[in-house]
Amino acid sequence: MAGVSFGKRYLFRLIGKKENERRLLEHVPKMGVEVKGITKDTLELDITPNRPDLLDIVGFARSVRSFTHRAGARSYGIKDREPQVEIKVEKSAGKMRPFISALVAKRIKLDDVSLAHFLSFTDKLSDTYGRRRSKLAIGVHNLDKIVSPLTYGSFEGGSFVPLGQGDKMSYSEAMERTKQGSEYGYTIGNGKRRLFPALKDAEGTLALIPIINSERTKVTPSTANMLIDITGTSGYAVERMSELLACSLMDSGAEVSRVRISYPDRSIATPEMKMRHIEIPLARIEQSIGVIIGFNNVLSLAAKMGYGASYGNKRIKFSVPQYRMDIISEQDVVEDMAIAYGYDYIQPIPVFSGRPGRLEDRTTLNKRISVEMVGLGFSEVMNSYLTSEAVNFGRMLIKAEEDSYIRLKDSKTQNITMARTWLLPSLLGNLSQSVHESMPQRIFEVDYAFGMKEGLPSEGYRLCCVIADPKANFNDIKAVAEDIIRRIGIDCRIEAIRHGSFVEGRVAGIISKRNEVGLFGELHPEVLDNFKIEEPCFALELGI
Amino acid sequence: MAVLGALKAGRTLDFDEILRETGINKDSLFWALENLSKEGMVNVERINKDEMEISDEGRDYAESEMPEMLLARRIGKGKIEIGKISEQRERIGLQWAKAKGLITIGNGTVELTQKGREGIGKESVEKIVLGKIARGDIGAAGIERSEKEALENLVKRKLVSIRKKTIIGNISITDAGMKASTTANGEIDRVNRKMIMDRSWVGKSFKKYDVKVGVEEAQAAKMHPLRETINNVKDAYLGMGFTEISGPIVEPSFWVHDTLFIPQDHPARDVQDTFYLENPERMTVRNRDIMRAVSREHERAWRDEWRTDVAERAMLRTHMTSVSARFLYDLKDYKEYELPIKIFSVGRVFRNESIDYRHLADFYQTDGMIIGNGLTLANLFDTLTKIFGSLGFGVRFMPTYFPFVEPGVEVQAYYKEKKEWLELGGAGVLRNEIVKAAGKKASVLAWGLGIERMLLMKDSRIKTISELYNNGVGWSRKM
Repeated sequence: MAGVSFGKRYLFRLIGKKENERRLLEHVPKMGVEVKGITKDTLELDITPNRPDLLDIVGFARSVRSFTHRAGARSYGIKDREPQVEIKVEKSAGKMRPFISALVAKRIKLDDVSLAHFLSFTDKLSDTYGRRRSKLAIGVHNLDKIVSPLTYGSFEGGSFVPLGQGDKMSYSEAMERTKQGSEYGYTIGNGKRRLFPALKDAEGTLALIPIINSERTKVTPSTANMLIDITGTSGYAVERMSELLACSLMDSGAEVSRVRISYPDRSIATPEMKMRHIEIPLARIEQSIGVIIGFNNVLSLAAKMGYGASYGNKRIKFSVPQYRMDIISEQDVVEDMAIAYGYDYIQPIPVFSGRPGRLEDRTTLNKRISVEMVGLGFSEVMNSYLTSEAVNFGRMLIKAEEDSYIRLKDSKTQNITMARTWLLPSLLGNLSQSVHESMPQRIFEVDYAFGMKEGLPSEGYRLCCVIADPKANFNDIKAVAEDIIRRIGIDCRIEAIRHGSFVEGRVAGIISKRNEVGLFGELHPEVLDNFKIEEPCFALELGI
Repeated sequence: MAVLGALKAGRTLDFDEILRETGINKDSLFWALENLSKEGMVNVERINKDEMEISDEGRDYAESEMPEMLLARRIGKGKIEIGKISEQRERIGLQWAKAKGLITIGNGTVELTQKGREGIGKESVEKIVLGKIARGDIGAAGIERSEKEALENLVKRKLVSIRKKTIIGNISITDAGMKASTTANGEIDRVNRKMIMDRSWVGKSFKKYDVKVGVEEAQAAKMHPLRETINNVKDAYLGMGFTEISGPIVEPSFWVHDTLFIPQDHPARDVQDTFYLENPERMTVRNRDIMRAVSREHERAWRDEWRTDVAERAMLRTHMTSVSARFLYDLKDYKEYELPIKIFSVGRVFRNESIDYRHLADFYQTDGMIIGNGLTLANLFDTLTKIFGSLGFGVRFMPTYFPFVEPGVEVQAYYKEKKEWLELGGAGVLRNEIVKAAGKKASVLAWGLGIERMLLMKDSRIKTISELYNNGVGWSRKM
């Protein structure tokens, strides 16, 4: 999800005067766009990642216009003429960001508001679809300040005045001293002998890519002609993006023309603007959604979503507008037809099947154990599966074996570094928050703990219960242990063991087939003190 | 007073019985009995008792075998040079075997006597007695006469020690004590067994209690409120004919992302949201056929290189859809007439979030899936409306986007407290690319919903999600 903020006055100017705010707010969620908030001057929206075209106020207005039947589908063609601008791609480009596409937009009418929206749109695209400029980045230039020939490649160094800076800087300085440098520098790495991707003209550097443009070719509200470059690691993505931008600029009234991209081994003109067609039988659309639509209605639903459509031989031929980068297959078109039809109007239809449902045996067993525990006077607790070495081992006075447990990488929370290997520390954590409540306190948990077995993670259910009670003794917990062992039917024997968390001589292991499957006993006062617990505690933990 | 209450039934109890019935701690009970007997309220007898304690060495033998037996077994029919008996336990055995006439020593070699040979494989009386003491089987009656000599030997061998102890027992109430437990004006306070049996209450009046007097709260043990919600959700599924499934929590990214058609450079995979693991760092995807099918669909649709190392990064699952995905990919040999197959799962999912009262690192989600022929969006709406209906929610559906479903649906439920619609989760028709990679010809409906939020919506006493995982005893008692 990406948040956008659209100026209301500009938006309503684009949609058409007759739309009012209340009606618009009703339509927007039905288009699949979430309204995050409304201020006096702006509309805040959340755009799903499949629709980069809606990050654009022009694209959003276009969709609202067709969704509310103000406009039909438009075709976005470019006259087939030899491009007047050429970008020569040097071999060195291949090492860093091999692909580039570009387009020229002439006779643009910009003002402060529309320019700000356009630049914020291209930035959002580079951030979201472009994966923070690593996969794809967009640069916008004043065409009239550019002197041919244009070259794209990777260079060892160079200098220019970066956008918004007063002084000339070397590429390295621009990386170090500008905000953009520190934010996006990661995309080209920072090794000692690095190469800098750059777009240059006869006068010098237009842009250090994908970091920052030059001040020289800066776009202002009085700019009439623009050159837009899109660079990235995927040829497919940069081409499709040039088409998306072309649609937006055409909708703003600009004249868009192609740019020739001359790679060392081939030459193409972008944007290609080829229209894609998808044919779907009407019956399949109706069967997927579960409604009867009829071919006349389907054609108007198609227009509502911006598709051109025609009907023949019981099939609908959809023309997919070039700005819809998300349409992969017919299923995507079917979704649009469902949205156009309106989820609210789809009547629910039951799924028939005569077979009964069933719970997992594990669920039934856990339930039986839990009911037994409640019967024995224990209340259930539910804790996070995640913990830290300090709690899981340290406070419990036991040592961790390096590779015996699951460790997390890059956790955002300091006290969450691993998956718990047993439940007891969680329960003692619960009791440590309850020292001011009346005694006795009896709690239990039936849930997962984790470990490693032969290099693979292991997950299993365990039961743990704790009695905090000044009047309790070892026998109380032993009685509980024996009851549960009987209830589950574990074939086992009880033997004295040593365990760092428990008082020596007051801890027993539950041994089944030579494996210690559980243990119970009196917790060591040092452990209790680590958890700031003030009453004696007796605990049982058992793999179930 | 509690002590008198327990004795009032005219019973004779011993110390431990009173301890159990009254719940007074040991020291207080001693003190109370001392005082009561001084005041002539109770009769107390002092009984001398032997208390046996087993040493570590003794416990060790009780669990394995006596050292002389160990040695005898080793010698067996042959002879052993005395110098070769070096192990600590065998040296001890040598000493006792000789004292008991189990062996003879001559010319520096050891040999079993007749008695020694007969003893092999049998448990000696000493061993039997030691075993009884270790298990605590020696009752108040002490040991049998035939075992007396063996016990003396054990004491001599320092395997067992005997301590003389005076204990208080046979405690009973006196008439004076009886009187003290009724009130001054002859009204009956506590009714006891004797009164009921001999009808001595007839003609007497009962002390009247102040029924308005405050009492301490009773504390019932109970299940966690979230568990109840989970059980309700499972019941709702059962009622609709769904079968429960489960699956791993620790997964390679493959099952959480790749099988669900989430592009390898999708932001949802970022370290920002996902707990990747340091140990283990990678998990191998064993089914190479499934892996090839998945990578084919990815490369066709996303036009990027699909990388095994990205798919095999170990992580904690971020949604329960990985469990449904495994089910779909692993499902084999189903018959046409068995469709639709309805399954559900409930379990924890994990997000690498900065934790606060609204965000937790792990929480519950439920996933559901129907695998069938010709299933429609209208079928999905019907199923979800009914499941939520039986849980007491009104729901509505909004278009939205998830990489693995198309059409995509946001499920919203009405929240009475706030008078607003809240997002409960996502749903949709599974992408054909996924169904194809799984080798199925079917239409598949799927959804994933948060559980905690349902509880928050239904129970106005619970204000934040984090409250559910704090488990303070005080909080639990109020629930």
